[in-house]
Amino acid sequence: MGKLGTIARRTFLIGSVAVAGGVAFGYYMYKRPAANPLLEELGEGETALTEYVRISSDGITLITPRADKGQGVYSMQAALIAEELDVELEQVTVDPGPPSPAYYNTALSEEAAPFRSTDDGFAAESVRSVMDVLMKFLGMQITGGSTSAPDGYQKLRIAGAVARETLKKAASQKTGVAVADLTTEGGAVLLPDGTSLSYIDLAPMAAQIEPVTEVSLRDPSTWRLIGQPMQRVDIVDKSTGRLVYGIDHKVEGMLHAAVKLNPAQGGEMSAIDGSEAEKMRGVVKVVPVKGGVGVIADNTWRAMQAAEAVKFETGPSPFPASMDDHWSALEASFVEDAVDSRQRDEGDTAARLEGAEVFEAEYRAPYLAHAPLEPVSAIVQVQDDRVDVWTGTQIPRFVQSNVADLTGMDIEKVHVHVFMMGGSFGHRLEDEVVKQATQLAMAVKGKPVKLTYSREEDMMHDFTRQIAMARMKGTVKDGKVETLDLGIAMPSVVVSQMGRQGFPVPGPDLQIVAGAWEQPYRIPNYRVTGYRAPQLAPISSWRSVGASSNGFFHDCALDELIHAAGADPMEERLRLMWHDASRKTLEAVAEMSNWGSDLGANRGRGVAFVMSFGVPTAEVVEVTNTPDGIKIDKVYVAAEVGRVIDPLNFDNLVKGGVVWGLGHAMNCEITYTDGVADQTNYHAFEAMRLYQCPEIEVRGLENSDKIRGIGEPPVPPAAAALANAIYAATGQRIREMPFNKHIDFV
Amino acid sequence: MKLSVNGKSHDVDVENDMPLLWVLRDELGITGVKYGCGIAQCGACTVHIDGQAVRSCQIAAGEVEDAEITTIEGLGQPEALHAVQSAWIEHQVAQCGYCQSGQIMQAASFLQLNDEPTDEDIDFAMSANLCRCGTYPRIREAVKTAAKTLRGA
Amino acid sequence: MRVLTVLAILFAAPAFAEVGKIEINPPAQGSVTRAEGLQAFDRIYEVASHPRCSNCHVGASNRPMWSGPSYGKTRPHGMLVNAGESRIGAEHILCSTCHVNVEATERGNNVPHAAPRVAADWQLPPVEFEWFGKTSVEVCNQMRDPERNGDRTYLDIASHLDHDVILHWAWEPGGGREPAPYSLQEHVNDVLAWGVAGMPCESD
Repeated sequence: MGKLGTIARRTFLIGSVAVAGGVAFGYYMYKRPAANPLLEELGEGETALTEYVRISSDGITLITPRADKGQGVYSMQAALIAEELDVELEQVTVDPGPPSPAYYNTALSEEAAPFRSTDDGFAAESVRSVMDVLMKFLGMQITGGSTSAPDGYQKLRIAGAVARETLKKAASQKTGVAVADLTTEGGAVLLPDGTSLSYIDLAPMAAQIEPVTEVSLRDPSTWRLIGQPMQRVDIVDKSTGRLVYGIDHKVEGMLHAAVKLNPAQGGEMSAIDGSEAEKMRGVVKVVPVKGGVGVIADNTWRAMQAAEAVKFETGPSPFPASMDDHWSALEASFVEDAVDSRQRDEGDTAARLEGAEVFEAEYRAPYLAHAPLEPVSAIVQVQDDRVDVWTGTQIPRFVQSNVADLTGMDIEKVHVHVFMMGGSFGHRLEDEVVKQATQLAMAVKGKPVKLTYSREEDMMHDFTRQIAMARMKGTVKDGKVETLDLGIAMPSVVVSQMGRQGFPVPGPDLQIVAGAWEQPYRIPNYRVTGYRAPQLAPISSWRSVGASSNGFFHDCALDELIHAAGADPMEERLRLMWHDASRKTLEAVAEMSNWGSDLGANRGRGVAFVMSFGVPTAEVVEVTNTPDGIKIDKVYVAAEVGRVIDPLNFDNLVKGGVVWGLGHAMNCEITYTDGVADQTNYHAFEAMRLYQCPEIEVRGLENSDKIRGIGEPPVPPAAAALANAIYAATGQRIREMPFNKHIDFV
Repeated sequence: MKLSVNGKSHDVDVENDMPLLWVLRDELGITGVKYGCGIAQCGACTVHIDGQAVRSCQIAAGEVEDAEITTIEGLGQPEALHAVQSAWIEHQVAQCGYCQSGQIMQAASFLQLNDEPTDEDIDFAMSANLCRCGTYPRIREAVKTAAKTLRGA
Repeated sequence: MRVLTVLAILFAAPAFAEVGKIEINPPAQGSVTRAEGLQAFDRIYEVASHPRCSNCHVGASNRPMWSGPSYGKTRPHGMLVNAGESRIGAEHILCSTCHVNVEATERGNNVPHAAPRVAADWQLPPVEFEWFGKTSVEVCNQMRDPERNGDRTYLDIASHLDHDVILHWAWEPGGGREPAPYSLQEHVNDVLAWGVAGMPCESD
């Protein structure tokens, strides 16, 4: 592990700092240390340091800056620190920490840079490091893009090791026993005679000495925690109703609020008349807010009832009136003028498509809501000298800055308290609810106000997954796929999303082709073109972002050509694939599913492969065509993540990703009529329920040296594998999501 | 009105038609019961009324004055877990965890009626509780484990 | 199996509460012709086959249906709802878990897409009252067959219509749902007329 240690020392400057009653270990950011978010909370005399480990008389705290919205990342981050620190997870407190530019997400920038994840060449690495500087500049403490595992894998372990070695040095100075003779276990330094010195007792002394920064990380063969199934730190609280999500938090003297937003997405409400609402029981105030009106009351239900009683005129949506218009805008984008990127262009696709027998197909993917089960909420309290925000968010830094702008308060006086999230799937990369809660709180200055969206507001005003369309042309020859020309048209998610935060995003948006252009196949004539459609309804990152639609497009297009060639879907994919770690995922699912064996009558098996977020993922879906519709029987998944940090959580996340991908492909879409979402609640946006859930068999592969996250990669292949399986079982090729527009499901 | 929640009597001053969900959450501060949809589509707000699972977003406070209301907090505590909660922990069911209070309350009520459920029974009983994270495979396993424990008890 | 003991307790609770909502005034004997009786039954069938009624009048599948204007494509009740042989869901999930029993009916059903509720434990009618997807002649023969109508005369049927608050809901479904045609009183009048006419069916 020497190499890892060297890289780490070069990249990060690690240090320690005295805190009240103890010591904290963490990183100084290079070039200019970012301001320490904990300084004010810690009192005077402290220096700037981004903490990951804090040991004081209050106990041992591991600071886990990546937010947890259900993916178990608090536990994973804590385990990475604890592995080196030699503490048990039961001994520590896990704290997400305050928002800080220092907790920037290095891994996110890797995926933003235009190089394939399989490309480790010099150019790729250097562009990634440019992006890295940019990310630091923006201070993006963002949770997303399945980046928490790669981001923390080194940093957190090193922080743990430095803390451990420094505590040993302190123990050595205190006892005179040589460091080499000291060991650590269970949050204590052990002397050769068995005496145990707790970290907590050693902490004040450790704060006074130079930290030991020359550390080498432990060999994986000695790991106690990493690679072992872990109990999540919050599992008992989540199973006993004790876990406090943002929506549950209470602040003394808090009022409750609801909003009624202009039903037409993006339109401004007018002629607001809150006179009836203000007469209703418990109502404190009716306040216009961004995009609509809010009602402050003494109880959420009363606020929601009153919000429904507000009279107003609906402002028109600036977006196309009918879905036909949305689709027309995409159809019109398959033109040379709208080319956004053509990162993949091998062979002579155009020439090959002249005069040959050309197979063509068109695919569609609809807008989709995120609809995490916890609706968005935020508590805001505006006081003379500070603003506090309590909310579940993936973008605490943006929240802080936007609240500062709205209130005119200095940014350091805006305190964001991040809570566990009841799901997100990208939903909490937006902060409209915080802005509206701030406006409400400003209207009753001094009082904390909790704004809770109704499910209807949450779904109808979601910034959805992108609408997308693809056109495939291809040829086959001698039983092989010879040409694949795939064009994908969609509006830019990144432009829409970053635009709401005031950041212009120049240049091509690779999310338009993500999950398609970087697939590790060698096809003689192979072209993937991204077409930039005009911005339509507002869109945002939805679990696996561009790949959520493009994985379906690319893999189904390939599957169609393989069938046209008369080849076996598994063998032909393997033949075309050049990337070894990716091949192994396909080989794994072939073995797991006993590919090629007879499934019996009315059954079918489909395979799909999509690399997204650097994770090659293969899935096989088995279905039965019953008289009442398609039943999904079984799914096999293999994914290459370099290192499975927690096999249990890995298994859970992969299954969740498959359920997510299949469920939305089966029966979900958001459609707009005159800008108003037609789907208002789960009755019309159901996704998968328990009875429809297939048995899912999961295998994590560790053939690559890159550590990758698993939150998103299982999603893109799921829809494709299902469509391919339905084709195998029925002969019906489904090219449009949701599939239930074309076929029934049991 | 008086409400009896988790064995404790509370005086609340609310409209008769306020859904029990919001009385519990906003008036009594009992937040293990979750708001997810408000229309009986998700099951996150499930409580027991006299031992039977009920969606607390659907039942009005005025309807349950004489009833015994149990929320997840009253089902079992970390130091004295209900068999369903133990099974949920053993199988590490939760991801985000937001639906799990309702899932657990539904499962506990179901197993009280039928402690020898077949796989099909479990599908029938648990499909009205929505989980957006997709923990369904683990929910199935945990219900089976809990049933076994309850039969043995 | 503990299901059965629990069932006994549940069935012991009074299911029907509201009475006397309508008037039962049958026409004089002999005053309704067969043709008029058949016309009355046509209207009865319009009600019986309306989604507000037929969705729950399902057979041994024990699975209520979702059909009609509010639901789009006809399909079984979502969430794999199966009321079981108990017809109240006791084997799996009680109907009343979502379709809660509300004594104060003025609370109504004004929330769109929420589970309908009345002052009774929600349940399916007995298996032999299966109407879903059946023709007018089939339903007609069922409705006059004591084996398949709960051993009821037409007067008993009329009285039953007066008493069963779940079926009253069909005319006041709320939440933007389409009500059953005619009114409860008109429906009862048709039953009485059909009865006085001798419960004729087209197949006779």
